[in-house]
Amino acid sequence: MKTIALYSSKGGVGKTAAAVNLSYLAAQSGYKTLICDLDSQGSATYYFRIKPRLKKKAQGFSQAGRPIERSIKATDYAHLDLLPADFTHRNLDIAFLEAKQPTEQLRRILAPLSAEYDLIFLDCPPTFNILAENIFQAADMLLVPLIPTTLSVRTYVQLRAFLQQNGYDTEAVTTFFSLVDGRKKMHRELATAVYRQFDHVCKTPIPYRSQIEKMGLYRAPVSVFAPHSVAAQAYQSLWQEIQGALETRLEKQATSQN
Amino acid sequence: MLTQSTDFHLPDDIEPTEIIAGITAVVPTIPEASQSITLCYYDTFDWRLYRNALVLTGQHNEYSLRELDTAVTIAQEICQTPPVFADDFPAGALRERVAPILGVRALLEMACAEVTRTTYPLLNEDEKTVARLVVEEIRPSPDTTPLITLHLHSLRGYDQEAQTISQRLRDAGLSPGAETDIYRQIMAAAGKTPGGYTPKPPVPLTPEMRADEAAKQILRAQLKVIRSNEPYIAQDIDTEFLHDFRVAIRRTRSALTQIKGVFPADITARFKQDLATVGKMTNQLRDLDVYLLDEARYRALLPENLAADIGPLFAYLQQKRTAVLADVVAHLHGPQYRQIMADWEAFLNEPAPKNPTAPHAARPIIQVARKRIFKRYRQIVAEGREILENTEDHLLHALRIDCKKLRYLLEFFTPLFPPEEIAYLIKQLKQLQTNLGDFNDLCVQEDYLLHVADELPLADQQSRHTLMAIGGLVAILHQERLRVKAEFAQTFAAFTAPANSQLFEELFASGKRKGA
Repeated sequence: MKTIALYSSKGGVGKTAAAVNLSYLAAQSGYKTLICDLDSQGSATYYFRIKPRLKKKAQGFSQAGRPIERSIKATDYAHLDLLPADFTHRNLDIAFLEAKQPTEQLRRILAPLSAEYDLIFLDCPPTFNILAENIFQAADMLLVPLIPTTLSVRTYVQLRAFLQQNGYDTEAVTTFFSLVDGRKKMHRELATAVYRQFDHVCKTPIPYRSQIEKMGLYRAPVSVFAPHSVAAQAYQSLWQEIQGALETRLEKQATSQN
Repeated sequence: MLTQSTDFHLPDDIEPTEIIAGITAVVPTIPEASQSITLCYYDTFDWRLYRNALVLTGQHNEYSLRELDTAVTIAQEICQTPPVFADDFPAGALRERVAPILGVRALLEMACAEVTRTTYPLLNEDEKTVARLVVEEIRPSPDTTPLITLHLHSLRGYDQEAQTISQRLRDAGLSPGAETDIYRQIMAAAGKTPGGYTPKPPVPLTPEMRADEAAKQILRAQLKVIRSNEPYIAQDIDTEFLHDFRVAIRRTRSALTQIKGVFPADITARFKQDLATVGKMTNQLRDLDVYLLDEARYRALLPENLAADIGPLFAYLQQKRTAVLADVVAHLHGPQYRQIMADWEAFLNEPAPKNPTAPHAARPIIQVARKRIFKRYRQIVAEGREILENTEDHLLHALRIDCKKLRYLLEFFTPLFPPEEIAYLIKQLKQLQTNLGDFNDLCVQEDYLLHVADELPLADQQSRHTLMAIGGLVAILHQERLRVKAEFAQTFAAFTAPANSQLFEELFASGKRKGA
């Protein structure tokens, strides 16, 4: 099982749209996939037409030890399940802080799912506190959407510095451009600079497109209601890059284990 | 991840459209376009899945394992290339379940059917799919009328919704049921009998049957096994076609030798000779199969840094096997083999003579069976005791052969005795046979590895490493062999325990106990 976290400390950068579309494409490629909606706003849950409530008895994240498996819901798509958002997520930070090893709670909670799923996507809320550290611990790949603006790039540089200082593997960080407007000169220039400066930057940018906004209307991944759209093609090509990177890592792991 | 599915039988007087209309009047749906697919059923040649009440189907690259009687889906898997052996499935629940059942056997396509499938996603107020109703029309062959079933697939986290719909279907007069009937009909349409082949076909003997008649029945059953496997050896699908073929030849020879005095002596002598020739021509191929099947085990025995160096040995054995297989296939298609088998078959199909000349031909089979089994048992006890005094390798080999003979006798004559007790004795004997068999295998392997080192055609440097690896294996196998040998005394004592001797005595010597 590999865990991919769609993470950014900023809101509105396209995390949820990416998590929904990439998890759908992963499932279509045959990976048994789970998308966890960690955001209390429950947008990913809404896109899959699922009601945002965890079962009362299984408030897995806030009550350690209780199985979260029982809250998992099938989506309408083969090989793709969802762990719905819950309003108790607002208290996740507090719950984690009270635990013995506060930064390892999420990883522990997800561990039992490894028998069932090949891939877990985490749709993360914009946060930079104890929940964020839980996400860093749990994720095999930290997938960061980046709007090509000066401020976004600055936040990204801060994130990398934080990870490095705190002993996290910066190799796990992969970034891709999100909400890109190809007509803006600044977007183009910044993108070029980022490609030059950082490793693990995906070649495929996700453009700013109204099709992506229409996900709220159709309540489905873009590839379902507009399979031939520019947006659907961009996610498809981004998924292929990510899949390639995952397979390379799995191979590396296999050879280092032998 | 898995969706649970309940299957419903459709009574003849209900149309599927009526049912769908009834459900969708209450639960909204937007039906998906009907799909036509070819659904194939897989099993091993000896029906291992069927015998374990499992059904494996495949459509495109999707494979699904279900329980035969309940149609409950156990696991689903996607395979990009059609799986042949258990290892060809990706790691997961499906492979875990079938691997111990399939063993080294290959999956064969047993039957295929054309399926037209229409899916009705059942939606809630958010237009979220909460269950799926699937109408399947299955045509086992183009000219048969389609069999119609209704499947209700529940989705994880929406069990209650599925239960409500399931209840509605029941109320409409449908009964949840197994797909056993469909499985059987599809197999029948393909001309297949599930469970039809077994390497140990049951022979319905009765105690009073004439000995020569009974012997012919036993031998005809073996001939059927030989004939069933013969055509597949050339196709090289898995190693067990040859193995079953060889075992049936060996059983045939054993029966000819052991069920004494039931056929004219010259006939027995001739076929013993002929069938020995047939057996011999496949010896080398089976040996190579055994080494190649054990490759992973050999690698695991070696220290990590030598494990890779054993590679050239297996490459060589594989290459050699290709040539040896070609020889065996040529023999099987050759005039000598065909003549032998034709004559043997003709002899077995001759009616038994009214006034047989062979001394035991007209005796009841139960008498012959008792005498032969008990005599063999006593011989084994005597041989074993001698080994306890003097553990020589050749004596262990001789004992192994005699145990095999006793095993075959017990199996041939099982229907004549109380089934549970025979099964118990076979189990006891099996433990002794395992010890002796392991010892023999280790001796043969050790010898073979020493000998094969001379044959390896290798470049110098590489060959030195490979020879080291072989040397390492020989040493490990030798240690193992000593360990197995040391276990003989204990295993033999268990087999000849007073309770077992008494049972042999009662069943086969004194006749105190009645037959089955």
